[in-house]
Amino acid sequence: MSLAKTRINPALDANWRLRAFIANYGVYIALLVLLLAAAVLTPKLYAVNTIAVVMRQASQLGIVAIGQTMILLVAGLDLSIGGIFIMTSIVVAEVTNGRDEMVIPAILISLALGALIGAGNGVLVTKRRVPPFVATLGMLVLVKGATQAYTRGVPGGFVPEVLDIVNQSWFVLSIPLLLWLGLNALFIFVLRGTAYGRKVYAVGSNSEAAHLSGIPVDAIRISVYILGSCLAVVSGVVLTGYVGYVDRFIGTGLELDSIAAAIVGGTAFVGGRGGLLGTIAGVLIIQILSTMAILMGLDIEVQFIIKGLVILGAVTLYSVASTEE
Amino acid sequence: MSEYILEMRNISKSFAGVQALKDVSIRCKPGQVYGLVGENGAGKSTLMKILAGAYKADAGEIIYKGQRREGASAGDVIDSGISIIYQELALVPRMSVAENIFLGREPQRAFGILDLKSLHERAAKLTARLGISMDTSLPVSELTVAQRQLVEIAKALSQNADLIVMDEPSAILAGSELDQLFRIISSLIAQGVTIIYISHRLDEVFRIADEVTVLKDGELVETRPIDELDRQTLVKLMVGRPLDEIFPQTDHEQGELVLVAENVSTDTILEGASLELYKGEILGIAGMVGSGRTELARALFGADPLTSGTVSLVGEEGALWTTPAKAIESGLVLVPEDRKSHGLFTSLSVRVNITLPILSRLTRFGIMQSQAERAIVEAARDRLSIVMASSDQEAQYLSGGNQQKVVLAKWLETDPAVVILDEPTRGVDVGAKFEIYRLMRQLNDRGIAIVMISSELPEVIGMSDRILVMNNGRIVGEVAREEATEAGIIELATMAGAGAN
Repeated sequence: MSLAKTRINPALDANWRLRAFIANYGVYIALLVLLLAAAVLTPKLYAVNTIAVVMRQASQLGIVAIGQTMILLVAGLDLSIGGIFIMTSIVVAEVTNGRDEMVIPAILISLALGALIGAGNGVLVTKRRVPPFVATLGMLVLVKGATQAYTRGVPGGFVPEVLDIVNQSWFVLSIPLLLWLGLNALFIFVLRGTAYGRKVYAVGSNSEAAHLSGIPVDAIRISVYILGSCLAVVSGVVLTGYVGYVDRFIGTGLELDSIAAAIVGGTAFVGGRGGLLGTIAGVLIIQILSTMAILMGLDIEVQFIIKGLVILGAVTLYSVASTEE
Repeated sequence: MSEYILEMRNISKSFAGVQALKDVSIRCKPGQVYGLVGENGAGKSTLMKILAGAYKADAGEIIYKGQRREGASAGDVIDSGISIIYQELALVPRMSVAENIFLGREPQRAFGILDLKSLHERAAKLTARLGISMDTSLPVSELTVAQRQLVEIAKALSQNADLIVMDEPSAILAGSELDQLFRIISSLIAQGVTIIYISHRLDEVFRIADEVTVLKDGELVETRPIDELDRQTLVKLMVGRPLDEIFPQTDHEQGELVLVAENVSTDTILEGASLELYKGEILGIAGMVGSGRTELARALFGADPLTSGTVSLVGEEGALWTTPAKAIESGLVLVPEDRKSHGLFTSLSVRVNITLPILSRLTRFGIMQSQAERAIVEAARDRLSIVMASSDQEAQYLSGGNQQKVVLAKWLETDPAVVILDEPTRGVDVGAKFEIYRLMRQLNDRGIAIVMISSELPEVIGMSDRILVMNNGRIVGEVAREEATEAGIIELATMAGAGAN
């Protein structure tokens, strides 16, 4: 051990530490900088009402991003989320038809259908070896098509009033925020403290070695896709309550935002590296940027440009930080 | 112009605060073979990557063909006549031999149209210069590993290389393939080409090198003409201490039968393999690369589904397995050949790597018991003397020998009855090799049966109690240790049209 110590060169060591620091904590620093910038540029962000709204919206994205992060951890990707939002929205409206007491059955049916979609993604990716991008894109089109065929383009039913609860805040707390925090706590524990979490990382890090270590690689992958779809259903219910009617374009763009949040948060696109704490920071960065842009009265186009720059900046930083000379 | 084609003077280089090279100088005359040896992490590859222009030295200078080289890119280096053949061959599998040789420098006619006729003519000329015959229109994916390596050498020649670096070229070769490589090296030096030959196999260095440079811990130990060296001295220079007994021996009676495989075939080259394995023995599997050795290991382990035959552990009646998970549960483990791609989780910590197959033992209701886990990892670290900063360190930052120990530790924690080792010492330095041999003996003493696949015949003969020889997907013979000779095994392994014995 003394050998290893004597070979440390202090100057280069500092450089290496800086890189490791950026890779591990860069996203939190970025979030902090953004919050400081907001204090100057858009102090309105710190109004209690605004914080409450930002957190409710961040939760919609954040719940999906939990699933997306776990799917990315097994070297996958899920683009079918948009279809799941629409499916959930229609099921909730049709099954309840505005009746509050039918909300629970509607959610259960949505979860079952979501799990089916997730299983479909997982089976295509594992058993048929379809690349995740293609498989889940195909599933997105399929589910969207199926919902339109079912509704014939004119969705019926009403969103029950009880779901309006997702739009209420007590101080900054709200049902979506509590859901987001609770699910994060649950899945952070699952990833870090359970055998299942270990297997998720192992499959993403090296699937062949995982197979040879006796891990049921396909089953783990499929289970993660199912989890991701079920989390999308939860987010879809929140979104449905937020919108208050059946919207064929509900949650458009959240699939890409969820990928962006995970990547900005340090989860590797190739799997096996990253986690949910980073994703929380990634979600907040994306949500706060959008809100700041609105508060500053910027056009929607400008918002997209800023979002794009942030994503590109983050991945560039990570690649610089992780480059071995 | 000086008599040296290459001089690297006082080269130093550090990574992430670790000094990889310190004040190393080498020089090469044209038409000579220079052996470059040292343990893993000694700095051989770093030195060659600096030569290749892949890394920039922190200090020192390179003088090539009498000129001081300044900030050359990898492309400039190739253009100047230096070619490096890495262990991991860099060929495009779907492209033909000729296309690979001239990749990026294809002969063209007007308007950038490929001149395929000239492409194949020139490729054929190059393979003729190597003294081999090869259909240059075959895709590289159809070639054996040895043939692919020849394509890399042809590619180097096509770049008019005056200096060729071969990084462990023999790691993937055996028997006659190796002889062919040495014939080619001889003809190249006769043509005035300089070769720098990196290898862990000292016999080869003695066979072809004119001069040997030894590196240790990033520093130059010595450069000496080969005829002033013997094997003992060279090992001592590399390891810093003598290795009296390379292959540790134990005396033991043949134990009880533990594993029986009957008439095993899979959807690979493997056909009708049968074997018996006894407690506490080492069964060596010899044969050329591609003879079905790895396929046999995977079949025994359940990694490839069997198309015929059975594998069973004695005493576990009816315990047949079709997946690695079941094999591990029954007490049979496989340490795969390709450490980086099949054995190790490079982006995960050493701790996670080691405990992965025994998670069920370390969890209660699926929740990790981290105290117990850390205790197991600490014990494994002490037992195998794994050198690491902490058990939370990512496995990718460990040296090759320590990575191999992590993979071994992972399997030993499963408390197996049978361990299959596929090339356990490939790419591992002399010191770590000895530790692995000793570990194998310790496992034998605990009654664990070992199946060892190896391309290194001295290792197979030195360690095995019995040796099975494979040829073309079949087991063609069994040799007892007392009767085993390298010549005899090679004859069995290369016999044409050999069938089942």
